[in-house]
Amino acid sequence: MSKGNLFVNGRQGDKGIVLGNEAIARGALEAGIGYASMYPGTPASEIIIALDKNKNNIENLYTEFSLNEHISLHGAIGASWSGIRSLCAMKNVGLNVASEPAHFLSYTGVKSGLVLAIGSDPGAPSSSNEQDDRWYSLHTYMPIIEPSNIQEAKDFTKEAFNISEEFSFGIMLMAPSRLCHNAGILHFGDLRDRFNIEGDFKKDPENYLNLFNMAVKNHSKYLERHNLLKKYLEDSEFNYTLLPNANESGPKIGFISSGVIYAHLIEALDILGIYNHKILKLGFTFPIPNKLIKNFLEGLDRVVIVEEAEGFLEFQIKKIAYEIGFKGKIYGKDIFKASGELTLDDVIIGAGKFLEKTPPAFFDFAIQKSKELNEKLPQRSGTFCIGCPHRATIYSILKAVGFSNTDAKDRDVVIAGDIGCYTLGLLPPYNAMDFLTCMNAGLGIGQAISLFDKKKKVIALVGDSTFYHSGIPVLLNAVQNNADILYIILDNSWTAMTGHQKTPSTQKDIDGILSSNPVNLKDLVKSLGVSYIKSLDPNSVKRFSSQVKSALKEPGVKVLIAKRECILQEIRRNKFVQKTSGAKIETAESLYEIQKSRCVKCNECFVELACPAIIPKRDGYEDKEYYYIDPVSCVRCGVCFEICPNSAIRKVEFDLKVKLNKKKNEERLTEVPIQV
Amino acid sequence: MKKFNIAIVGLGGQGIITMGTVLKNAALSSDLQDVSGSERRGGAQREGYVETFVKYIFYKNSSELKDPKKNMHSPMIESGGADVLISLEPLETLRGACYLNRNSTVIFNEMPHIPISVRMGQTSYPEFGYIARELEKITKKIFFYDFDKISVSNFNSLTQKNIIALGVLFAKTNIPIDKIVIESILSVGKGAKDNLEAFQIGLAL
Repeated sequence: MSKGNLFVNGRQGDKGIVLGNEAIARGALEAGIGYASMYPGTPASEIIIALDKNKNNIENLYTEFSLNEHISLHGAIGASWSGIRSLCAMKNVGLNVASEPAHFLSYTGVKSGLVLAIGSDPGAPSSSNEQDDRWYSLHTYMPIIEPSNIQEAKDFTKEAFNISEEFSFGIMLMAPSRLCHNAGILHFGDLRDRFNIEGDFKKDPENYLNLFNMAVKNHSKYLERHNLLKKYLEDSEFNYTLLPNANESGPKIGFISSGVIYAHLIEALDILGIYNHKILKLGFTFPIPNKLIKNFLEGLDRVVIVEEAEGFLEFQIKKIAYEIGFKGKIYGKDIFKASGELTLDDVIIGAGKFLEKTPPAFFDFAIQKSKELNEKLPQRSGTFCIGCPHRATIYSILKAVGFSNTDAKDRDVVIAGDIGCYTLGLLPPYNAMDFLTCMNAGLGIGQAISLFDKKKKVIALVGDSTFYHSGIPVLLNAVQNNADILYIILDNSWTAMTGHQKTPSTQKDIDGILSSNPVNLKDLVKSLGVSYIKSLDPNSVKRFSSQVKSALKEPGVKVLIAKRECILQEIRRNKFVQKTSGAKIETAESLYEIQKSRCVKCNECFVELACPAIIPKRDGYEDKEYYYIDPVSCVRCGVCFEICPNSAIRKVEFDLKVKLNKKKNEERLTEVPIQV
Repeated sequence: MKKFNIAIVGLGGQGIITMGTVLKNAALSSDLQDVSGSERRGGAQREGYVETFVKYIFYKNSSELKDPKKNMHSPMIESGGADVLISLEPLETLRGACYLNRNSTVIFNEMPHIPISVRMGQTSYPEFGYIARELEKITKKIFFYDFDKISVSNFNSLTQKNIIALGVLFAKTNIPIDKIVIESILSVGKGAKDNLEAFQIGLAL
């Protein structure tokens, strides 16, 4: 019984190991959704991936990887108005893009249940900011639920659809990456019958035509519904209080928390051995009913709010405390930091200090020890995959503008970054970007820089998925306003960083099936009024580099398309085709090899290109270190071969018909004549 | 309630998340067992640091299982809270050392993977002796092998090194999970034969 099958077929009584994101998807499935969409974004991607990859085995389910979050939420609203329960997912910053539909949703209301699952990213390991989307609810009035663990992720999602329908709100479900990517036991529930999922758009002009006095009327209607929901939440099971153990009494202290941080809190108090305080768990964090807080605060002297980011709960609870005349003290952001991820350690330390309780000795010892160690450890940053065409593109651009990967500030060219795998080019050794903020900021900001700084040329980078997301109007704007800028579209045919969703550039799926309607990117760009446009393979680094140089000399908007498919997808497809066709590949296999005798360790391949397949090696302890291309990890892209200034890298071909024998590999390599 | 915490660290693409998934599936056999643990996925396939936690929870009885003060678990492991640290890269073992206490067991891969900062000559990769000495200052239970070499020499590929390390976990620690459960998990799926063989190799190390 595989997990994939359990995701589709699991029933009450079944249990399995499930990712937090999959639990959210499963909750939506149990609630009977017929629509699921997202623009992919870490950490939320697996929510829709889980549904999309199983859709052929699920009756009446439509899934969509939309071109952006704005479209995606609109789609979910359209499905809801047609009587279909709908799930929309996105990462935290996605809501900025979808904030317009989000602001109308409370006005018009929903028909069938709508849940908007948000993957937030405290610590920003995969994001360009740490924003806490809960604050959006103060002006969108979208209610918020915050599951604490995998089981709640499923159960809360399922129940959210009922509440959405009952109060006609789209419900926001908050899942930080620690929940999205927590994997643990899920107890499944039963599925709603899926055969009767059928759409019917019932006209409702009173709610759906939202302008003039109709908008004002809708405004007052949602404020009423908000109050009804508040009343309902006074004694809903989503929020509950844990009382001190019967035989323990202590100072009158209470804790309030929600989501994953609540799970940290419970474990932190257990580690500290403290059980004599009242704890309020909020499953719904907007709206928060006054009476619930009043009942909790009664008799307490001090209350500690444990939460991540700027203090959304503290803001609301202090307001309620003022209204009900609470006389005690409320702590929050004065104990727990507002920036960076709030870890289990942070909660242990914060709660320990507040309660004047020392953490166990092993804990302090480990914190001290790792602090000492970390000061001396080399940092490790991510980089492009071996054979990634983006590495070649970034390398070529840097060559064209005068390579200076140690100090980007010296370059007399401004390079604008954008969001995608190529973002990794901002890290060492490339340091190839001068600014990077949000989707499609590169060209927009770059256009104005090119207007005012005439001494520097401006290059803006963008990936194909990011370009289709919202780059088309930015490019059109640059053309309409006669900008002077080089725009490089790194077209690898996939939204690669989030797990390879299709883009309009995708020609062929990994099973070899052709896309029905791929876009010709060059034609599209041409149709926007760009006359200088070239599409070329970035792995031909010398050619690409000289094209960058020539383009920079031309006036106006120039577009270069660095066209080469993501290497991971190419490899996957080749493997798939090889396996399904059953054909043994009988062509010559090639290897790249650095000849020790010719390599002078100039570092062109090892540091400047920095391909991880090129590694330092030493045969014996006393021997000299040399550079070596690891044949196990090398994917034969040939870029190092092209760039070596000393012709020290050679291509060796040998026949696969002779059965490969690991131990004889090295002998064979030296025996076979060089065929370049 | 008893807990057994395992932290697994290394680089994207080394099979760390798979190890976590295999171990977590072993928690399904008893009703009084629970498991939690988050993964850091950002750097997958891209040389970045990746970690995953496996936190086994064994409830004494069903009332403990229902107690909301006992049945809620953080997805993270606290500093010093790991019973075992498995690392597939020597330098990252020291980064993962924050999870160690004096009784922890460390299992790590000797095969280094040099970071970009070392490539650029800005920092140097710590000597193996330094890594071992620093770990010994924390705990005496340290086991290291060249998992890359063992995997390549047995399977002509690097892909089995994580399962070999799982074998070592069952050979060298008091993990409260029956190895038969792991074997039955590994015996399902495409790579079953190699996985079972790799697990046995690890058990015998």
